[in-house]
Amino acid sequence: MPERWSDYLTIFMSALAVGYMVYEIDRRQRKLREIFDVLDAEDAAVTARLEDMVASGELQPYTGATLV
Amino acid sequence: MLQEAVVTEPSGRPGTRARAETEASPSTPRFRIFIVDTGWDSPGHKVLQENFGLIRELQREDPIYVLGREKSIEYLRHHEERIGHDPIIAVHDLAAMDDTGTADFHGFRLRLGLLRTHQQALLALQNFARFLRLHRQSTDLEGEIRRGLRREGLAGAIEIVLGHEAREIGG
Repeated sequence: MPERWSDYLTIFMSALAVGYMVYEIDRRQRKLREIFDVLDAEDAAVTARLEDMVASGELQPYTGATLV
Repeated sequence: MLQEAVVTEPSGRPGTRARAETEASPSTPRFRIFIVDTGWDSPGHKVLQENFGLIRELQREDPIYVLGREKSIEYLRHHEERIGHDPIIAVHDLAAMDDTGTADFHGFRLRLGLLRTHQQALLALQNFARFLRLHRQSTDLEGEIRRGLRREGLAGAIEIVLGHEAREIGG
């Protein structure tokens, strides 16, 4: 057991620092995933719709050099 | 000339032309790339417009499908939670779709519309283009993406804690 108040303070501050790190890593990862992430089962319907549009010829490969 | 650039067209069912790394030639399409862009006056839209030709040239083995304004609007009317996230670049991994369809990992996507500055959007597009080139022969694309996301999250947090400037993407 810590014997001095300063020891308690050190432990408390260390726990705060670790907690902040964990929170910050999680926040950064969530933010990154909003921007860039994998497509998985949650996106299956959207993917299937896009693939259907390709299969039916509704979507053709874009051959233009610029977007209009 | 850019206008004459050939885009190969995979035929048949999704993923039927995708091959495992050992079988695929470098020119075999690995991905189908879809662009959804309703045309918001945003940095992401401008960056995509300005650099599309370059992306096309860098990814000439893989077909790019541009939904166009009307189809993009229709798409977002059905996925309203994604309004404002566009331009969205969705990449379908034909190799993964050949293995497991869409039930599991089958690609990845970039939401350029979430980036607030021109510089952020350009950096994201450049990173994305690099990622596509570097990983088009990958046999563990999902693992590489997930490891990359973990690494980036950790690196960003450490930079903040150390008092450095926030990273450009997601900053």
